[in-house]
Amino acid sequence: MLARDHIRDLMEQILAAQGKDLPAGEAAELTAVGFRSLDFSELALRVEDEIGRELNFDAPGLRTIRTVGDVLDFLTDLQDAA
Amino acid sequence: MSPPNRLVLGETVTDWAALTGAADLPDPVAVCTDQPRAAFAAVAQHVADGTELLVAARSRVDEALRAELIEAGFALPDAGVPAHRAAEPGRLWLLTSGSTGRPKRVAHTLPGLTTVTGPQPPRVWLCPYSPGTYAWWQLVTLSLAVPGQDLVVPSTVEDWPLAAVEHGVTAVSGTPTFWRQALYRHGDALARLPLAQVTLGGEPVDQPILDALRQAFPAARISWIYASSEVGAAVVVHDGRAGFPVSWLDSAAPGRPVLSIVDSELVVASPHRGDGQPAAVRTGDRAEVAGDRVLLPGRIGRDEINVGGTKVSAGAVREVLLSHPAVRWARVTGRRAPLVGQVVSAEIVTDVPVETVVLQRFASERLAESAVPRHIRVLPEIPVKETLKSDV
Repeated sequence: MLARDHIRDLMEQILAAQGKDLPAGEAAELTAVGFRSLDFSELALRVEDEIGRELNFDAPGLRTIRTVGDVLDFLTDLQDAA
Repeated sequence: MSPPNRLVLGETVTDWAALTGAADLPDPVAVCTDQPRAAFAAVAQHVADGTELLVAARSRVDEALRAELIEAGFALPDAGVPAHRAAEPGRLWLLTSGSTGRPKRVAHTLPGLTTVTGPQPPRVWLCPYSPGTYAWWQLVTLSLAVPGQDLVVPSTVEDWPLAAVEHGVTAVSGTPTFWRQALYRHGDALARLPLAQVTLGGEPVDQPILDALRQAFPAARISWIYASSEVGAAVVVHDGRAGFPVSWLDSAAPGRPVLSIVDSELVVASPHRGDGQPAAVRTGDRAEVAGDRVLLPGRIGRDEINVGGTKVSAGAVREVLLSHPAVRWARVTGRRAPLVGQVVSAEIVTDVPVETVVLQRFASERLAESAVPRHIRVLPEIPVKETLKSDV
């Protein structure tokens, strides 16, 4: 199980690779941050690699992801659901 | 009568005349062996008696295939299974490489497999291929048909540069994976090999590997060959460039294959095709026109990665990764991912340590955003299958 702050670190790395910053807190909108679908996909794969198993991406909730906090919630919950 | 070419089979030095009569095989027969001498002795018997023959590395024949061969009437001497049908004199069988699915048998004859018959400069060829593959037969028939063409079969593929130096090898044929691994592992030993001929085939041949070989062997003629069990040898290119000239498309000449592109797929009508194959064989390989060349970046279907509805060519991504100076080998695939269905994933082997984020930036400067590998795994060495292909 990957902790929430660890997932946040991975998210920060993905953005940093593109020269983008992850704002403090979790309220920032993903569109404002520049965190796009492909970035989310990459983050999910990194989580899979870290925990050593596949996640069930078909679990509901994808459409509610709008903020940084939503991403962290989703990937934390998904580990429980897998 | 075969020319008195030297055959170095592991530790044994022999020739075709000495091998004639060395085997006493039933007919028809499937020889499943990892011993070079047993494979070559079987060929010598075929040449002498026309024995119906299939040769394959033992590891390529699994239980299911073994059962198929027995069902088809072949004797399997290593399993004590006798033949149970009349033989078809002069028939040779090849197994497809299996990169398109399960291996299947393709019918050939020795004259059909013998694509080089004219005089050639004297060469000592390294034969690293698995017994019975199309590329193996190409070297075997060259040795059978053309004077001055010696063969060296190393005891182990891993240590081939040592055998090559010991036996004076001047020509080496291998897959691009074989060559990448050789450059990666044996750079020092390769520098001592005065190769006059370097040949590649069996996998997509890209410009970076051709350039690396040109740098390693500045005096060698570098050739790449497009061939398969089904279509035979169809394209031979010597100019050091990836792909073949566009002017070769739809060009008919006696005894030469006709190459066409149909729906982005290479179609070959070849006089060297297997018996029973259609006149024009759809190869399953993607063909792309780029300037004055026709490039063959990989398999149709396998080459395509669907990233959120955008079609990405795995071969094109691979080409970009291989153009990075630190990357020696790359395999590009689609990996299941949320939101976009698949993302581009890569496994790589590098000469020197390199951060994956550096490679992602390198790729992002050269590819559309959807084609940039979102997942890169660094392997300690190049994985190689029995066929010397790496399944890229």
